[in-house]
Amino acid sequence: MRRQGSAVGIMLVTVVAVVAAVLPAAAQDRTKTKEVVVGLGAEPRTMLGVTIVDWTTNNMLEHIYDRLLDRDAKTLKPKPMLATSWKIINDTTWEFALRKGVKFHNGEPFDAQSVKATFDYMLDPANKSHYATPAYWKPLKEVQIVDPYTVRLITDKPYPSVIDHASLTDLLIMPAKALREQGPQKLAEKPIGTGPFKFVEWRRDERLVLERNSDYWQGPADVSRVTFRFIPEFSARMAALLSGEIDIMKDVPPHTIEAVERSGRAKVRSTVSSRINYLALVNLKPGPMQDVRVRRAMNHAVNVDELITQVLRGHATKMCGPLAPTNVDFSPVDCYKYDPARAQALFKEAGVDPKSLNLTLDTPSGRYPLDKDVSLAIAAQLQRLGIHTNVVVNEWGTHLDKIKNRNTGDMFFLGWGPALHGQGTIEPLFKADATYSSYGNNKVLDDKIAKAVTIVDAKARAAAYAELQKLVHDEAPWVFLWQQHDLYGVAQSVEWTPRADEKVWMYEAKITPR
Amino acid sequence: MKKFLGLILTLGVIVVALAAPWLAPADPFATDFTSGLKPPGSPGHPFGTDQLGRDLLARVLFGARVALFIGVCTVLVTALVGGALGLVAGFVERWPSTVIMRLADVQLSFPFILLALTINAIVGLGLRNIIVSLSAAGWVVYARVVRSEVLSVKEREYVQAAAALGVGQLRLLLRHVLPNVAPSIIVVASLQFSQFVVAEAAISFLGFGVQPPTPAWGSMLSESRDFLYVAWWLAAFPGAALALTALGVNLVGDWLRDSLDPKLRV
Amino acid sequence: MRAFIATRLAQTVLVVFLSLTAVFLMVRLSGDPVLLFMPMDIQAKDVNEYRQRLGFNDPLIVQYGRFVKGAVRGDFGESLRYRRDAFGLVLERLPATLLLAGTAIVLTLAIAVPLGIVTAVRRDSAIDHVGTVLTVLGQATPGFWLGLMLMYLFAVQLRWLPTGGIGGLSHLVMPSIVLAAFYAARVARLTRSALLEALGEDYVLTARAKGLAEPRVVAKHALRNSAIPIVTLAGLEAGQLLGGAVITETIFAWPGLGRLTVQALLNRDFPVVMAAVWFTSIVYTLANLVVDLAYGWLDPRVRQRS
Repeated sequence: MRRQGSAVGIMLVTVVAVVAAVLPAAAQDRTKTKEVVVGLGAEPRTMLGVTIVDWTTNNMLEHIYDRLLDRDAKTLKPKPMLATSWKIINDTTWEFALRKGVKFHNGEPFDAQSVKATFDYMLDPANKSHYATPAYWKPLKEVQIVDPYTVRLITDKPYPSVIDHASLTDLLIMPAKALREQGPQKLAEKPIGTGPFKFVEWRRDERLVLERNSDYWQGPADVSRVTFRFIPEFSARMAALLSGEIDIMKDVPPHTIEAVERSGRAKVRSTVSSRINYLALVNLKPGPMQDVRVRRAMNHAVNVDELITQVLRGHATKMCGPLAPTNVDFSPVDCYKYDPARAQALFKEAGVDPKSLNLTLDTPSGRYPLDKDVSLAIAAQLQRLGIHTNVVVNEWGTHLDKIKNRNTGDMFFLGWGPALHGQGTIEPLFKADATYSSYGNNKVLDDKIAKAVTIVDAKARAAAYAELQKLVHDEAPWVFLWQQHDLYGVAQSVEWTPRADEKVWMYEAKITPR
Repeated sequence: MKKFLGLILTLGVIVVALAAPWLAPADPFATDFTSGLKPPGSPGHPFGTDQLGRDLLARVLFGARVALFIGVCTVLVTALVGGALGLVAGFVERWPSTVIMRLADVQLSFPFILLALTINAIVGLGLRNIIVSLSAAGWVVYARVVRSEVLSVKEREYVQAAAALGVGQLRLLLRHVLPNVAPSIIVVASLQFSQFVVAEAAISFLGFGVQPPTPAWGSMLSESRDFLYVAWWLAAFPGAALALTALGVNLVGDWLRDSLDPKLRV
Repeated sequence: MRAFIATRLAQTVLVVFLSLTAVFLMVRLSGDPVLLFMPMDIQAKDVNEYRQRLGFNDPLIVQYGRFVKGAVRGDFGESLRYRRDAFGLVLERLPATLLLAGTAIVLTLAIAVPLGIVTAVRRDSAIDHVGTVLTVLGQATPGFWLGLMLMYLFAVQLRWLPTGGIGGLSHLVMPSIVLAAFYAARVARLTRSALLEALGEDYVLTARAKGLAEPRVVAKHALRNSAIPIVTLAGLEAGQLLGGAVITETIFAWPGLGRLTVQALLNRDFPVVMAAVWFTSIVYTLANLVVDLAYGWLDPRVRQRS
């Protein structure tokens, strides 16, 4: 019995020693073979392009597929990708010149057929694509093939966001022949695109592995292999970053920055995101928020700067209107200053005694950076004026349900993004019939929105959106908060700069062996 | 020895819960953004502060109230419901017993989080959700234990004698069976108590915890996950409080079982 | 005996059916599924169109009928989130779940039974006290906390083990320890009390009076008789583990059934929820049945009564 015991003991020690020796070496090897591991909280929902609107899914797909147009990482303005140039033929016709010499991963050549096949797939009702809705490509009537490298998109009414949609993951080009021969179901399992990485394997809820496409038309990526690992628990992701198992991690909370930097394994890189956070003041049901003076008073009562400094540790960029500078239709508006005296005056004007106010604030938890804590902090700030706020934390699904059914309290916390163009931000958020809107029934605003979304001329469009922003600002439907800062933990050996449109695109990453 | 430790700890928790307002150095709900995440030993904050600047010692002390509240409420509900069902199942047997036992199976075979989610849709998040969810899951143990106890008590001679003498069913149940089954209910209750208090942590982890700013040890532990690498005290103190309470109540339960009914296999 | 099995099997079917019905109702009460897998800029009428197309606007009884017809064949429809066969998704998780559950059960028994025996045999000694404190702590420590502590120590600080995922033996270590800690505590306490009770019985006195050595008394007589409740509990816990250990799987990113079920629930992915519950309730009730049968087989007195 005792001899068995010591034999087992020796075996255990050996196993542990071997494991300990093997692991750190494995992490170092990755920099030599130029592999990168990204840790994410959720996994993609499909490998087919233009089917499901979901950030995680589209982020992965952008490694496998290309878009017609790209966006510049800094200015976020559209630039050529699979299309080399575009021109507007008339109000409802857009012509794109396509790049020659591009091949899909299976050798099939890219041409106008690919574009048509992609649209045919997307707009076919049988495929139930999210992109066939009015917010995306429903206005598209026809795709004309002028010649193998020229294609025309014809819309049924003037639709200026064609360029915006073509430069986002709203249009990922799929191979015509493969779609026809294999069908979408097969391609959903083994996707084929023209992108910088080829599909290797997808172990559901565990990892997605991609490898470098050496024939990529923009030149091969520096990274030879990308593995996306799906780790749902935040502290486990952090542990994986600190132990060297993953190289990139999204959403590092502000207070953990020091811990990451101190570890020596990774640094925190941040960028101002295009995703915005706001406190909606609900005017869609009877209550104090239906009075514009009360809403303006709220904007003066909440000290946004204090929230940013104290709760978010400076990691947010204040906003004064509904759009942020990263939005192509942005134009500046005046800020509502923190001014308790002005707030009191406005309350008095509206005939409301702040001390008698009993408000309810609905918030999710863990969906946006420190959302719950910000909500609690806002409640504490309002308390300084005597306003009593009851903060209700909702599970995410319940939160969305409540907003849609207009069942929230007087206020709710929400985020929106990536908010890259005006129509995508203003139309869904300030009209009474929009699903997640908190504000509406303003005829003047509704009319102006309806007009603005059809303007194709760039200058006229800018003027229309400037007017819209001023109008929304004056109506104060929200307490305008901020643009999130996206904080990423990035391993020392990886050279990668975060983007404002939240894309974690490994084509841009470089590995420097240490 | 174990008995004393158990009693001391349990009484300690009860005293703390009752005396929290006098023992706490600060208001557990008072936020102070400028003193977030202070370590233990900071002036005025022996246990440190959380991310909103609230004093941790105060929150741990007041958390005892929430813990006891959850424990007592859930135990009462489950003991009454589960005990009653177990009595019926054991006493009447035949099809009521089958129905109740299979009902218990149904309860156990579907995921607990579904229960919490459905209740969440009806009453929202918060203490009520926790108590209802835990009760819905917890009655099964009582039903099972009480049923098998009743089955064995029924075989005893004096019960059979009373039945032979013509004592009515209800009287039999209440005057002869119930008093003999009561000890097992008490023992199960004391052991379940600590289970429920710990389960609150699991529920909070899944996202169905108490509403802020209620201080509850389980949800404090769950929230401390985000601060694991920067503020260890946010996990350490609520966790220790939880463990000590569970230990105390469990030891008392063990002692109760040993003295009341050592044959109880719980 | 055969009649007993037949009745119990029939009851199993009933239990699974009731379970599914309960889940069907509860899941529909818990919220609107369409919102969660639609993009946020969806319009209200598109939401309705989707609900219509997926059959969520039909009266409840019609939806139920459709569901039952499919469930009998094992067809729960397509996952709302992934657009793949819901039951296929459940089956995919099986190997990982079985691996973790199996390892946890083995570890549990390996720790708990010896611990229970030792604390019973050496009752009221120092070992017994330590053992009791350990078992109580095992049940009092929330699983996620233990998991994160272990992860911090062994993965981040010492780098002996990976933080999670599935891969080799090293990936199994921490998740199974976390699971075993909880279940072993229960089994150990049960072993102790069952053994103590057995040791107090007459046949043990007889065995001792006959002059048998103590270890033999314990092993051959007392243990055999206390095996019944231990087996019962172990069987039930195995059934629960096979349903997936949600918290452990989430912490350690283990691609198991528990994690799938929770994610499906939070995403209101009805088809996957139903498929998963169908599976777990069958497994659990079968485990129950097997345990009851084993109980009857091991203990003739019980057989007589039923």
